[in-house]
Amino acid sequence: MSMLKRRMFLGLAAGATLAGCGYRSVDAIYSQPAGSVPKQYANRTRVVFWSPYGGVNGKAVDKLVAKFNDSQHDVYVEVQFQGSYDDVAQKVAAALVAKQAPDLAVLSDVTWERFFLNDALEPLNGYFTDGFGPGVYQEKLFGEYVVKGQSWAVPFARSTPIMYYNRDAFAKAGLPDRVPRTWSELRSWVPELAKVQSGGRSLRTIAFAKIDGDWQFQGNVWQFGGAYSKGLDVTIDEAGAVAAGEWQREMVHELGAAYMASSPSTDFANGLVGVIQESTGAMKTIGSKAKFKVGAGFIPSEVAAGIATGGGGIGMLRNISTERKQAAATFLQFLALPENSAWWTTQTGYLPVVNKAREDAELKKLIAEQPNYGVAIAQLENARRQDAIRLYGRNANVQIYTGLQQIYADNAQPKKVFASVARRLEVIGDEVKRLYEEKVL
Amino acid sequence: MSIVDLPARTHPDERTIADGNDQRKRRRRREYGLFALLVAPNLLVIAVFAYWPIIYNAFLSLTDWNMIAARPKFVGLANYGRTLTDPAFHKTLWITVVFTGLIVVGSLVIGLALAFLFNLPLKGRGAVRTIAFAPHILSGAAVATIWAFIFDPGYGLMRALIEPFGAEPPDWMNNSDWALPGLVIVYLWKNVGFAALIYLAGLQGLPKELDEAAAIDGASTWTRFRSIKLPLLAPITFFLLITTVIGTFQAFDVIAVMTGGGPGDATTTLSWSIYNEGFQAFNAGRAATLSIIMFVILLVVTTVQARVMERRVHYR
Repeated sequence: MSMLKRRMFLGLAAGATLAGCGYRSVDAIYSQPAGSVPKQYANRTRVVFWSPYGGVNGKAVDKLVAKFNDSQHDVYVEVQFQGSYDDVAQKVAAALVAKQAPDLAVLSDVTWERFFLNDALEPLNGYFTDGFGPGVYQEKLFGEYVVKGQSWAVPFARSTPIMYYNRDAFAKAGLPDRVPRTWSELRSWVPELAKVQSGGRSLRTIAFAKIDGDWQFQGNVWQFGGAYSKGLDVTIDEAGAVAAGEWQREMVHELGAAYMASSPSTDFANGLVGVIQESTGAMKTIGSKAKFKVGAGFIPSEVAAGIATGGGGIGMLRNISTERKQAAATFLQFLALPENSAWWTTQTGYLPVVNKAREDAELKKLIAEQPNYGVAIAQLENARRQDAIRLYGRNANVQIYTGLQQIYADNAQPKKVFASVARRLEVIGDEVKRLYEEKVL
Repeated sequence: MSIVDLPARTHPDERTIADGNDQRKRRRRREYGLFALLVAPNLLVIAVFAYWPIIYNAFLSLTDWNMIAARPKFVGLANYGRTLTDPAFHKTLWITVVFTGLIVVGSLVIGLALAFLFNLPLKGRGAVRTIAFAPHILSGAAVATIWAFIFDPGYGLMRALIEPFGAEPPDWMNNSDWALPGLVIVYLWKNVGFAALIYLAGLQGLPKELDEAAAIDGASTWTRFRSIKLPLLAPITFFLLITTVIGTFQAFDVIAVMTGGGPGDATTTLSWSIYNEGFQAFNAGRAATLSIIMFVILLVVTTVQARVMERRVHYR
């Protein structure tokens, strides 16, 4: 017995010693992730920028960064593509444990908070200039990163969901050339859409996302009069949220008009489904794939209007040198120039996060020619910051979309599913409560 | 009495023996030194990359840490208490057992059948063997991507194959009843070639005399398979059993790409839940706890298998 105890003690002591070198020190300066700097940019301050954008949007990021690198002689920004929003968050956390830090990272609507709460982000107010800071950015989108007067990230690829619809299919079904105004109206269109044949079967009305569908569903819950939470007090098991879940369950299992898709936007672009709720940031990608006329409009209401903002903002890591911070800030200032913000919107469909970008001639021209690009901008007045449990509760989003999967896949009763999701969210809320009350409220 | 005098007084024979002992000891010590020198690099690598993570992991399992906070909070055995009493964990364990059981049994049975087939003197068997083994060396992510296409209800290969007969294929990965069987099919496809190859090597190494003698004595093909070949293949089966159990318990790649543990928690195995706790929820402590539990389970399973097999397996 004593032998065992001694062994255990030795093990623990060894573990503690070894572990001791794994923790982050809040004010230490960490090394930069490796990479390569082309010859013509040597002797500049290097800034490593971790991005989750691939495909069409990734190319746009590369072009923006190249433009920045050629616009001055002091800073070289190196974009390092890291996968999804979640992948970026994982890799930043892993890097910090390994005492390494990228200088800038795109953090999603549900991941920047955990870095902020744990003192991993650099406060940005000190870097603000006339062209970079409050007043420059769209107020709502800027404000979401402000806690107690201090900015912890700035908006970049911000979005809301919009409704995309297949205009050709709508015409064949004899439906008006617009999105439905309410969810009830969409439901009443199910028989017409089912008459349209696509790929050897009748067209389904709507596809729900298997992964991350809880972002769109956040808005749906508001539209049916509910909320995920009030503060951190979980309300997903109450009437409004249950009604939203019930509406979707019936569409899938009673009407056979909806289904869960691994990628709703791929299915939509392939003409398998009439409408989807998808990020405005998918606009360019969908447009480039679809072989039919793509329409877009506001997300329908039911008893209320309201949609969730989402997408990525850029945070600066705290554990980097002053020189790297200053250099990184110059890139953020560059992104805040109206023409750059507008260009990013024209290349992707994301919201113009800078106010003056809306007056940009190129963007105005694009919206005049392709009104779809103006939908999210016009819809922004209905947009809201998401409920706190999804933003601050670690893994709350996964718990919610896992619950949605049970409704879509197993015909589980929303009331029952959300009751069990609520219990899990409460535990998650309790975990973050102390930090949330201390730093946010 | 001086030490120098000592050898002179001893019997010549004894002296030789003593000298020999000393020499042997010295030589042995030198050999140990060389041995240590030779294994040190390996040992160091194993210590750093295998033992340290296990020890660190055991330590982390006693903490509450979100990976970003500067310091983990020591919580003792709280993570274990919470995990072991969580109904979601029980379901995960059950799914893991079913998943592992189906794949292990399937791999061994189909692998053995294929091995017998490949052992027949048929034309083109070399090519078929290669084709059967190929999936084993493909990367899991690539395999998953291919099967995601095959299973896709909208534009998948399965649909194209089944629909002409008027049937509609299930929406494999988006249906709780079909997702786990779907994953089992994919892993079997990936594993079976390996099991077949190992069994084939075993079959070809079997002594022909026993089989021929039994045939002369009038034993049927089935009796010869059951009473001669199968027992002689026991060491191979044992090897495959252990490696497949461990491999399947830790399976992650195909699950990550194809189902993400869903729909709901229908394909949430122990290894997926470790990933989910660690890298989606950033609960390093609870992920470490699950890892330690998995480590213990595999240790117990392997030990039991080894004990049972010690008695049953006949090494020639």
